[in-house]
Amino acid sequence: MKLNSPEELEKLREKILSERDPNKPCIAICAGTGCLALGAQRVINAFKEEIRKQELEAEVDIRETGCPGFCEKGTVVVIYPEGICYFQVQPEDSPEIISAIKEKKIVDRLLYTDPSTGKKVIHEHEIPFYKNQTRLLIDSNVKIDPKNIEDYIALGGYSALSKALSRMTPEQVLEEVKKSDLRGRGGGGFPTGRKWETTRNAPGEPKYVIVNCDEGDPGAFMDRALMEGNPHSVLEGLTIGAYAIGSHEGFIYIRQEYPLAVENVKIALKQAKIYGFAGKNILGSNFDFTIKVHRGAGAFVSGESSALMTALEGKVGEPRPKHIHTSIEGLWNKPSNLNNVETWANIPLIINRGAKWFSRIGTEKSKGTKIFSLVGKVNNTGLVEVPMGTTLRKLIYDIGGGIPEGKKFKAVQTGGPSGGCVPESLIDLPIDFDELKKAGSMMGSGGMIIMDEDTCMVDVARYFLNFLKDESCGKCTPCREGVAQMHAILTDICEGRGTENDLELLEELAEVVKDTSLCQLGATSPNPVLSTLRYFRDEYNAHIMDKKCPARVCKALIHYSIIEEKCTGCGLCAKKCPQGAIIGERRKPHVIDQSRCIKCGICFDSCRFDAIEVK
Amino acid sequence: MKKSRGSNKALPIGEEIKEKVGAVLVVGGGVSGIQASLDLANSGFKVCLLDKFPSIGGTMSQLDKTFPTNDCAMCILAPKLVEVSRHPNVSLITNAEVESVEGTPGHFGVNIKKKARSIDETACTGCDICLDNCPVRNKPQISKPEVVLIKDEKIDAITDRYKDKEGSLIQALLDVNSQYNYLPENELRYIAERLDLPLSQVYSIGSFYSAFTFKPRGKHLIRVCTGTACHVRGASKILEEVERKLEINPGETTEDKTFTLETVNCLGCCALGPVMVVDEDYHGKLTVNKVEKILKSYG
Repeated sequence: MKLNSPEELEKLREKILSERDPNKPCIAICAGTGCLALGAQRVINAFKEEIRKQELEAEVDIRETGCPGFCEKGTVVVIYPEGICYFQVQPEDSPEIISAIKEKKIVDRLLYTDPSTGKKVIHEHEIPFYKNQTRLLIDSNVKIDPKNIEDYIALGGYSALSKALSRMTPEQVLEEVKKSDLRGRGGGGFPTGRKWETTRNAPGEPKYVIVNCDEGDPGAFMDRALMEGNPHSVLEGLTIGAYAIGSHEGFIYIRQEYPLAVENVKIALKQAKIYGFAGKNILGSNFDFTIKVHRGAGAFVSGESSALMTALEGKVGEPRPKHIHTSIEGLWNKPSNLNNVETWANIPLIINRGAKWFSRIGTEKSKGTKIFSLVGKVNNTGLVEVPMGTTLRKLIYDIGGGIPEGKKFKAVQTGGPSGGCVPESLIDLPIDFDELKKAGSMMGSGGMIIMDEDTCMVDVARYFLNFLKDESCGKCTPCREGVAQMHAILTDICEGRGTENDLELLEELAEVVKDTSLCQLGATSPNPVLSTLRYFRDEYNAHIMDKKCPARVCKALIHYSIIEEKCTGCGLCAKKCPQGAIIGERRKPHVIDQSRCIKCGICFDSCRFDAIEVK
Repeated sequence: MKKSRGSNKALPIGEEIKEKVGAVLVVGGGVSGIQASLDLANSGFKVCLLDKFPSIGGTMSQLDKTFPTNDCAMCILAPKLVEVSRHPNVSLITNAEVESVEGTPGHFGVNIKKKARSIDETACTGCDICLDNCPVRNKPQISKPEVVLIKDEKIDAITDRYKDKEGSLIQALLDVNSQYNYLPENELRYIAERLDLPLSQVYSIGSFYSAFTFKPRGKHLIRVCTGTACHVRGASKILEEVERKLEINPGETTEDKTFTLETVNCLGCCALGPVMVVDEDYHGKLTVNKVEKILKSYG
């Protein structure tokens, strides 16, 4: 089945398309990790069973797709060719949906209800969550089965590779990427074309190309969605990059915490080899390229470029000083080009549609689209893809649907643990690499954690430092000791032991860690502290001066009590209290014995009359 | 040996000091001790530099390069070693340890224990001949413990897959980890032998990455997500409740070996947060009240 020329690829594409009936109903069910966690496998099995029972195998197709992004409403089922979207589908719903397909009807109750108008929305492109996005990369996720290369080919897959290999020289490919002004999506925002050029021109053979899928930022899962949902787009981009750089060996470094992504990319690789998109003499062009998959073993710092390369060598994944950049001396001291999953996935688009088209999207200095994972205190949790320069307001309110329970928006945390918090006052900030940096945060890999009035910013800063404290590899002193000390100071503040001098000390320490750490993990680790200090100093002061936590999060500074008028004396909280700290007679207002209370919050959660208050 | 300066007797604490003594004892002959001694000696103080080892130089003398400039360690250290040994204001006391300190600033008395050198220092010229002729030199003083390796076919299968492939140790350990749920000691020794790698390297990988543990895990593995999205939705309360119910901390296993509790930085299903995974089952949108019921269904 090996394809030996671009013509053979086109012929295969025509053959696949001619064998497929565009009007045949197809049930696309999300089988991404998010939906699987919600029980998508049971839904898929139910549909298969139902189709088998009704003997509809010839009339209806089932496709297990990657993540469409709208995780809040999983399991997501889309009926093609109409594009009818059903949300929160349960296994029991399968007979009803299948009979609706047969009768060309719609199951009203599973449709999306627009919260602003209260109307039912049928099609994907009409739902506000999707309508306001520009889905260039992630859109294919719903249209293909990641385990089937033919789906990708049918959508025009590998045409960019074929174009690059047959009609472009490596120099032209490089020039095109440079002209597109694509910047690295892993967080740093370094111009991809320039990085490629450095590796291409660096002395030494062999040269390596690497995909960084060690997505360690908590709350970020766009790389996983691409790897799970559309692995071929990454493989295609990587191969084009290798051709431009002059590399014949590529690596995919992928977290073992993403078992499905590992599985799908391995299958994709196997199929690519069979079809001749990887291996020797790709598409008859005399270009050889092999790819290996390497599983990471769980270390946040290994996502850093030099650390990742050390890990690829089978060693402890610690960063090394970068007097000489990894593009020149990287893996096994050879020139190595490392890019993030999303960066690689952009390459086929640029080659197919041209640098000019690409550079029209986005802002002056940040081109293209970016996938963000919108999580935390937001109504529509999920993956969203928008052009660079989209404002936070559009992202949070138009796409994200605002804050749950009508609470007040407080801040958004971007860029993962080393990023920063952007406050409500900057909600009209256009999101791109430079604007976020100016606001004291960074793009990072694209995690957006939304926080509302119930989130304590001091606690958030402490949370991130606790994370970084554990993830610091310990090689250099400023990061190992500095982060631990900052964490200790913040813990003191959270537990009511803060003093007036603490903030000054924190700032001083933060500057030292920022200036003297070996790698970016350390150098960016003070960001959560500095940005919360910059925008939420009054919250710090409330903790220190008044010994109060305004968001009622920090345990040492709050206490639970029972509102006498509201308590009915049902005794539920007393039964649940692990400390036996709640006392009172039946049908009479209870009280909490403060000396025994450990502030676990169980009573607050279990009270049905809102009679427990936190102060 | 008792060494005291100024007067023969150290003054008791609190007694007024009339005349302060300009001599300093520097304890520890590493690079910082050496530099401190030199600075002091150059400012005119008499310095005694003490080290517990037979020679000064400390850890830095064993390093190849130094952080953060990657400079050669010996190139920095060697001139200082020579200078400190020749400085008229510095006297070296090696192979000795401080036993006690008494007195007040300006009038300290220090008890120093010099370890036996078994060589007459005044007569030794450092010619090295005894060193060359010593019959026990270069022989390990403690015999290596005899470890019996148990042959393990599962490991054989794994190592066959990765033999001769550069940089595959992490991959091999991931496979061992999925076979056993942890990294057993015998298997680690065996894999080191089979892949022809030092055990220390296997250990360093095993202890660095969070996927590995050297302790056996329980029947059910509970992973509570403490990622940012779950954190702002109250994951810490969930974790505390699990800790309370099982009476273990993250990383530990219950006494009856039923549950192992671990935390995880993000499972990527943030829409479900706060979330906890028991074995392969996801439990999302948790509240503290739901925890007990979930645990009971496994226990």
